[in-house]
Amino acid sequence: MGGGFRVLHLVRPFLSFLPEVQSADRKVPFREKVIYTVISLFIFLVCSQLPLYGIHSTTGADPFYWMRVILASNRGTVMELGITPIVTSGLVMQLLAGSKIIEVDNSVREDRALLNGAQKLLGILIAVGEAVAYVLSGMYGSVSQLGVGNAILIIIQLCFAGIIVICLDELLQKGYGLGSGISLFIATNICENIIWKAFSPTTINSGRGAEFEGAVIALFHLLITRTDKVRALREAFYRQNLPNVTNLLATVLIFLIVIYFQGFRVVLPVRSKNARGQQGSYPIKLFYTSNMPIILQSALVSNLYFISQLLYRKYSGNFFVNLLGKWKESEYSGGQFIPVGGLAYYVTAPASLADMAANPFHALFYLVFMLSACALFSKTWIEVSGSSAKDVAKQLKEQQMVMPGHRDSNLQKELNRYIPTAAAFGGMCIGALTVLADFMGAIGSGTGILLAVTIIYQYFETFEKERASELGFFGF
Amino acid sequence: MARGSSQSQASSSSTSRPGVVAPRGSAAATAGMRRRRLTVGSAASGAGSVSSGSGSNMLRFYTDDAPGLKISPTVVLVMSLCFIGFVTALHVFGKLYRSKSGAGA
Repeated sequence: MGGGFRVLHLVRPFLSFLPEVQSADRKVPFREKVIYTVISLFIFLVCSQLPLYGIHSTTGADPFYWMRVILASNRGTVMELGITPIVTSGLVMQLLAGSKIIEVDNSVREDRALLNGAQKLLGILIAVGEAVAYVLSGMYGSVSQLGVGNAILIIIQLCFAGIIVICLDELLQKGYGLGSGISLFIATNICENIIWKAFSPTTINSGRGAEFEGAVIALFHLLITRTDKVRALREAFYRQNLPNVTNLLATVLIFLIVIYFQGFRVVLPVRSKNARGQQGSYPIKLFYTSNMPIILQSALVSNLYFISQLLYRKYSGNFFVNLLGKWKESEYSGGQFIPVGGLAYYVTAPASLADMAANPFHALFYLVFMLSACALFSKTWIEVSGSSAKDVAKQLKEQQMVMPGHRDSNLQKELNRYIPTAAAFGGMCIGALTVLADFMGAIGSGTGILLAVTIIYQYFETFEKERASELGFFGF
Repeated sequence: MARGSSQSQASSSSTSRPGVVAPRGSAAATAGMRRRRLTVGSAASGAGSVSSGSGSNMLRFYTDDAPGLKISPTVVLVMSLCFIGFVTALHVFGKLYRSKSGAGA
């Protein structure tokens, strides 16, 4: 390993310039953690409402529409990039390290520092690159319209926002806050979306007089104003173009189902070798890889959409381009392109149950695609992330833990009976739930809900454990 | 230095596997960077059930100490607030400037 050229060492000269949050040198009390978390969240929320200075317009098709949910970004605001830089750089580095393209020796301190530095540097570079690309591609109006000064200002704002997100995430992870910044931001974004769709007071004129956008508000409004109460109810439950009460109920249902499934686990008893009588358990959850499969799956699909849209706009006549995806402007959400043909169409969820019945092949293809993609990604992910049977066995051995009734060498075999199955099946379940959510028309897309629920569940676990670790503190 | 390292180890595992009681730092410190997520260390400490390693560790980076521009958490928060203030100020000045030039023309 010594000597020779290593890619990781290229990062070293930049290491001293990268901002780095100090690790907590004491145990941060729970109350303080909550305060840090809340302030970070507040900053994030303000940033995702604050419009960028100097932009001309944000009209026109939004090629990243499909990624916004999982990337916690808001169009035309300072959080335009959201967590894209961080997630992309993290994914790239993990995949590179996992596939041994860049060599990282995890037991060497310097290597870990370099890998972290590389991730951060890449994150900042991606932020700069994306900011420049956004401005030059005319997302906010063409550069000549904006003026050079404003263009530079926009780029600076976006970059700085990226750096702030990186710092906030690091702050939360280094023990000052609860959970990770990224999951916190994703969950907040989705929940905000759901609450907004349920209670939005905005009125929209849709030919039959003004209607409220929020499902619950619309329900009451319709019940009060309409004379025919039954028709008013039906309208509130089944209106097509705006969020309706059925969507809301579906969302709640999916929430409950996912939380119910979170509890499913196989518990393997383990015993410490050197401390007699110390019993423990090693649970293998059904959702072993948690929300990873859908993050990866939606990243894949969004990239497919993005490429397909770009190609379709340039060469819409080409046979192969059409095979990849045909796009049409949607009537409802202004300027939004939706897929109507080709591969992109078949990997998109059917809009409703009626749509599904009208086009069963599409529904079937989508189902098969989701299930297999999620299972596959889940299985790949345990290898990449180092939570496969082999790694867990090694880990248990390092901790001097054995399974009663099994020899040491058998440990991996025993774990191998459960972990890949749990990963694949769990991934499939996650996929199935996403499909179910999409079919029922849950608010904020199936992927979004699944992400939000799994993250919130993790947060609940955190809260419980934090509280348990600080006995006697029940302030919150 | 070793203390700092084990500290970050402990904190990272408590964040990563949501809230498992911070494991014995020494036990976990030897584990690799990604592996330490599987906090079996706390099983040894008698915590009863331990959550299995979640696969979503992609969402957490930057858990180790690295040499770099050290900043304290307060600075991060203040920096973010300053940034928000800066952008707001830009908006305000932009409006003022535009209305003034509009009136002058």
